[in-house]
Amino acid sequence: MPSVLANPVLIRPVLRCAITALTLALPLAGAGAVLKPALVQAAGASDDEAERLARWKEIQKSIFGDKRIEASDSLIKVDAPVRALDASLVPITLTMPEKDQVAGVHLIIDDNPSPYAAHIAFGPGADPGEVKLRVRVNNYTNIHAVVETKDGRLFEATKFVKASGGCSAPMGMSDEEAMKGMGDMKMKFADSQPGQPVETTLMVRHPNFSGMQMNQVTRDYTPARYVNKLAITRGGQSVLTLDGDISIASNPVINFGLRPGGQGPIKVTASDNQNGHWEHSFTVPSATN
Amino acid sequence: MQRLARIAAAGLAALLLGAASPASTNPADSPVNVPEPEGIWTGPQRGYTPATLSGAHVIDIDALDALMARDAPVLLDVSLADRRPAGFPADRPWLPAHRSLPGAVWMANAGAAPLDPAHEALFLKRVEALTGGDKGRAVVVFCHPECWGSWNAAKRLVLQGYTRVNWFPEGIEGWQERHPTTVIPEDTAWTARAGSEARR
Repeated sequence: MPSVLANPVLIRPVLRCAITALTLALPLAGAGAVLKPALVQAAGASDDEAERLARWKEIQKSIFGDKRIEASDSLIKVDAPVRALDASLVPITLTMPEKDQVAGVHLIIDDNPSPYAAHIAFGPGADPGEVKLRVRVNNYTNIHAVVETKDGRLFEATKFVKASGGCSAPMGMSDEEAMKGMGDMKMKFADSQPGQPVETTLMVRHPNFSGMQMNQVTRDYTPARYVNKLAITRGGQSVLTLDGDISIASNPVINFGLRPGGQGPIKVTASDNQNGHWEHSFTVPSATN
Repeated sequence: MQRLARIAAAGLAALLLGAASPASTNPADSPVNVPEPEGIWTGPQRGYTPATLSGAHVIDIDALDALMARDAPVLLDVSLADRRPAGFPADRPWLPAHRSLPGAVWMANAGAAPLDPAHEALFLKRVEALTGGDKGRAVVVFCHPECWGSWNAAKRLVLQGYTRVNWFPEGIEGWQERHPTTVIPEDTAWTARAGSEARR
């Protein structure tokens, strides 16, 4: 393994993840369910709840002003691993069972320095039942999802996630390498029945530099360069638009539902904060029985 | 049980790496054997750290708990501050909050190397004030796992003749496995240092 020693900086994130995975996997494998409650309670439950609530109120005000946000179990659910294996790549699932009422959803990672991770506005071409994203988490934090209904009301759900250092974690490669193929896209469609929504995955190649990542050799910060807007349309009809932020993980991936009955190809337009602009088209396969 | 698993995990990781492992007992320990540098470490500040620090005690969370119960040590946090990205949109919330050990004094990046001599002097002056000029007072230095900053800051104190320097390599993550954290502001005198804003 001479490469490990010769180039410790570059290999680091990979090792860190491998080790985290091991530390996590072993106790679970060894002790099964017995240890799980201890892991869950260790920090989250005992942390200063009042302080966390006060911070949420502050963030809430900066984004939504004085508008009331109601708690809801039925309109929005946010799911994430309690303990993330990689803080720079934390999978988030937003579930919105009453999908016909949903106009959009906001994702807020309370303890990230830039808490407002994403806003997704659904168009008529979307099936807003479920959305998945991958985000950076800087600290043990509450993650809030706020759904906006078509009649303009706001409902929230929250989930506590243990991960830290995600916003400043270096990518484990040079900036040039990380930017290779920037703007390339792929789209995958899950098999679907006719008349059912099509689960669709959009993958965008883009480093989404947070501006908080330090080059360990030069000690310079890689300038922030992140996808701030994704617009997905189908046959001229909006599917969704996503306003993103530095809290979205590198190589952004979004998983969403396409409303059945749509026509024409899908067009994706992406732009970043450095005036990068990319467009790609994809053909939706016809449903199979 | 968790602890055993961690030791096993560290051992396993070392095996995977094909490197010799020091007898590691906490997750901040490196799976590779990192030797102590001579003096302050000026290489990449993020990375595996040594298992030892000559002239200081390396403590885990149990030892920290015991020390805090017994000696009310000075807690020094040298974590980096979150840097506001250049050109970050003014209309989006930017609300960095540093969570740390309750009661800790935060001097961001005081473990940097090289460190401007004026800043090093200020750091030492602050520690002198915090310890009441008693070089025998227990001091705990920490940041995050795999962070050389706390190793360096602890080393700086050892080199100044502090006799009860404790380095807590598990850092804030190690602490919050067991205890609540709290949002703390940066030490006021440290924030006022020249050029501090340039680091944000």
